[in-house]
Amino acid sequence: MKVCYIFTFCLLVFANSATAQVAVIANASVPVDEIGKTELGDLYTGDIRNWSDGNPVIVLDLQPKGDVKNTFYKYFGKSTSRMKSIWLKNMLQGEGDPPESIATEDEMLEKVASTPGAIGFISEPKAGESVKILLVIEPDA
Amino acid sequence: MSANTTTRRSIIVIFCFLPLLFSTVVAQRGESPIKVFGYFQTSLQQWGDFEDRPGSNSFSLQQLNLFFQKDLARNWTAFVNFEVLNNFSSSRQWGALNLEEAWVKYRLNEKFNLKLGLQIPTFNNLNTIKNRTPLLPYIIRPIVYETSFNEFILIEEFVPNRAFAQAYGFFPAGDVKIDYAAYLGNSPNINDDRQQGQTGVDTSASFLVGGRLGLRWKNLKAGISATHEKRNDFRGLSQLINRSTAELVNVPTVRFAGDLSYTFAGFSLEGEFITVRVNDGIPELNLDLDFYYGTFGYHINEQLFAYFSYWATISDFLLDAPQHYLMEKEEILVSNFGLSYDLINRIRLKAQYARVTLTDREQFFPATTLTEKEGKFNVYSLAISVFF
Repeated sequence: MKVCYIFTFCLLVFANSATAQVAVIANASVPVDEIGKTELGDLYTGDIRNWSDGNPVIVLDLQPKGDVKNTFYKYFGKSTSRMKSIWLKNMLQGEGDPPESIATEDEMLEKVASTPGAIGFISEPKAGESVKILLVIEPDA
Repeated sequence: MSANTTTRRSIIVIFCFLPLLFSTVVAQRGESPIKVFGYFQTSLQQWGDFEDRPGSNSFSLQQLNLFFQKDLARNWTAFVNFEVLNNFSSSRQWGALNLEEAWVKYRLNEKFNLKLGLQIPTFNNLNTIKNRTPLLPYIIRPIVYETSFNEFILIEEFVPNRAFAQAYGFFPAGDVKIDYAAYLGNSPNINDDRQQGQTGVDTSASFLVGGRLGLRWKNLKAGISATHEKRNDFRGLSQLINRSTAELVNVPTVRFAGDLSYTFAGFSLEGEFITVRVNDGIPELNLDLDFYYGTFGYHINEQLFAYFSYWATISDFLLDAPQHYLMEKEEILVSNFGLSYDLINRIRLKAQYARVTLTDREQFFPATTLTEKEGKFNVYSLAISVFF
């Protein structure tokens, strides 16, 4: 019985960490194959708006709150409320619109795959071959 | 007013606002639509007794801003900002309606942006966002940024309010970003007398020249700002101090300022100083202005933010005229505690308590003694800020 509890506990821990691992995905058209922490932060804060080939970056946000979203924004040192405040500030200063907010991870995958220049994030196991995986973020990164 | 005139005015107003209602519909096909958005802040303020002025309770539509934005082409954006203050009503002569911004921006990349047209210049951290009430936790903002006090505080003496051409951007250097902004605008010598010709234009050949140099590193942001302008509004004092008018023309005025903000683990710290010096080279006439503020805040959770803020505004004026001596030093010190709560994404509730200390030291001719007045009072405020 004790072994069974330990096994269940390990399974839960493993399953939890697996779902919280986040993949940063981009449309196949983007001119990069990987991305660093600083560059990712610059794209999401609106500091950088174009890929290196000059095409516009289409930044996508995930609507539901949860581990995936928290892990993603925490990776470059921001909370979700801080990000909302940065986007609102940009908008009210005429410096750019907030990212489109996507309802589910499946829709995010579909949207990134079909939108040239798009970048988004989903839990790692959901990322398919229709998109480029630029980075995998560990939950404790 | 006749019924015909009223009907005609109503029709004109309806036609003026029709484009707002159908802005996305009338935008040309293939073009990006005009975005119309804005915000307002309504407050309830209780001001305590001060000297001979009794306390008051008042609701007020402190501020409403209406923005129009259109992406004209890939790198070009146009932006217009109308601002309505203090329960504006033209028929009742309340408040004010201002065209605050109307500019077009060209964005080459993050290193170079060019804004042309009426705009609020980059100066310290707060100047460009001072009127964006949904971004700020305050109901009454740090005084020199409190636009609704325009009628009794010389806000435009402390901070530059209008530029017409500005270049700005940032250069990355590893993890650090070096921000810059440089701008040109009118000097303070703006004609407001219809008898003297066109109003709203600069009557001199001088400019406001200014800029900010800053750095961002992780959650730290800091910068220094400066402006230089030449003013002619001291000319009227020339006879009092036995100087020629020419000596009080194009008097250089310099603003120097610094800002710092830092966030860590839910805490936030921000502060600024502004110093304004009128360098007339005439010892009989002097005007110095100083302003400081510091805010320490904490995000109790995603929605709720609490802060303590302290502001100090100090003005020194000296007119050392033989028959009209005046020395005045005024201090406004304000300690604040406040809360802001994001009810939903677009609605923010705010509460603020301010303890105000006013000190005024004056010495008039022929008095030889200094008169000193000090008053303290409390201001309690509640507000709702709505972004639409």
